Amino acid sequence: MNKPVLRIKNLTKSFGDTVVIKGVSFEVNPSEVIVVIGSSGTGKSTLLQCLNLLHTPDAGQIFLEDEEITSLDVNEDKVRQQMGMVFQEFNLFNHLSVLNNVAIGMVKVMGMPAGEAAKKAMKELSRVGMADHSEKYPAQLSGGQKQRVGIARALGMNPKVMLFDEPTSALDPELTGEVLAVMQKLATEGMTMVIVSHEMGFAREVADRVIFMENGYIEEQGTPEQIFENPRSQRTREFLSVINRK
Amino acid sequence: MQSAQVALESFFTMLQFLLPGLGVTVSVTMIALLMGCLIGAIMAVLRVYGNFTARSIALCYSYVVRAIPVVVIIFILYFVISEFIDLSPFMSGAVALGFASGAYQTEIFRGAILSIPSGQMVAARGIGMGRAKAIRCIIMPQALRVAIPALINEVSLVLKDSSLVFVIGVPELLRRAQYASASTMEPLLAFGTAAFFYILMTFTLTKILEAIEKRFSISF
Repeated sequence: MNKPVLRIKNLTKSFGDTVVIKGVSFEVNPSEVIVVIGSSGTGKSTLLQCLNLLHTPDAGQIFLEDEEITSLDVNEDKVRQQMGMVFQEFNLFNHLSVLNNVAIGMVKVMGMPAGEAAKKAMKELSRVGMADHSEKYPAQLSGGQKQRVGIARALGMNPKVMLFDEPTSALDPELTGEVLAVMQKLATEGMTMVIVSHEMGFAREVADRVIFMENGYIEEQGTPEQIFENPRSQRTREFLSVINRK
Repeated sequence: MQSAQVALESFFTMLQFLLPGLGVTVSVTMIALLMGCLIGAIMAVLRVYGNFTARSIALCYSYVVRAIPVVVIIFILYFVISEFIDLSPFMSGAVALGFASGAYQTEIFRGAILSIPSGQMVAARGIGMGRAKAIRCIIMPQALRVAIPALINEVSLVLKDSSLVFVIGVPELLRRAQYASASTMEPLLAFGTAAFFYILMTFTLTKILEAIEKRFSISF
């Protein structure tokens, strides 16, 4: 039995007076694809940003393999090197070429020589289908292309788990397909992924587990079949009926 | 025709007399700009990213220095510096100008840094960069490009402010124009030619910097 990649215990996070995450606990096993769904403002993105310590949890513990990353003396930078994050707004480095966007982390953070980093960067770009665009700059790319480069950039750091924060929410509908295809490919290659998304079709197809979040806590979780076909909770049923009506 | 020829000859004579002053003016300006750029970039980072102490120091420097006329700063620094180190009026004036320009460049760089979308820092931290590395590799290169138009303007301002160092006896362009005006009793010719030189220098420097801006520009 492989040990979990991520263990989250009683995670709590507030902003000012508002408690955004109210004691969330779950585990992520190796090569598992978890999709977190829920209405806006239920703390899904905040949860993800707590996982790689972009926000500091107020209470609770997070374990990355054996290391407790919420302990006070942890090196946050080293933790973030092991988790890849893909953002809704892409956040590509605008002053760098596509190749250097992927390579800069390898060179500056991992200390790789430039030639080796360039080769590895091209490999990751090929993985997402962007190798032909290596010399372009982010401003010259479409949204879907930018997001694929964002995925390559995160992959370049050899992460143990990939975190996706609504990766297709800022894209035109025609462009979401290319990004979802890359994500599906990563899943079949065995990447451990935690994805916050509204793409129910993707969740049905690719997720091993779906977590439905409501008001800052986990209302229900299970396989896609369980959640989408046989939801146990009333709130889950209400949410899904709203989604299906669209 | 005769008087036009005479006028042209006087102009060329004046040009030749003022020329050494041109070299001094350009040198003072260059030293001041480089010094101001270094100070400005560092102070701006302190203002945006520093702890309370660092932010306060940078804020004080920026506000106080910008509140004092540059010529006063030149005088003060000249008399302060001469107490401790034996610096020529040239170096003293250049340092004073650099010190003053640094305060304005602090605000230029600060504005540029703040204009960089916050997602850039988030993404840099996301791949495991520490804050200092993120500032150096991701934020500052972009901020510098944003700052270039304002910096081009600062070049023009420092060039003109360089004339103020005449008050401590630096033999730059304005000083020499004053000598020429006094000895030839032709103020219009002297100062007019000086003005011509200032226009020429501003034009040349601006063109160079605009070319640099084009070379490094990336559409955002």
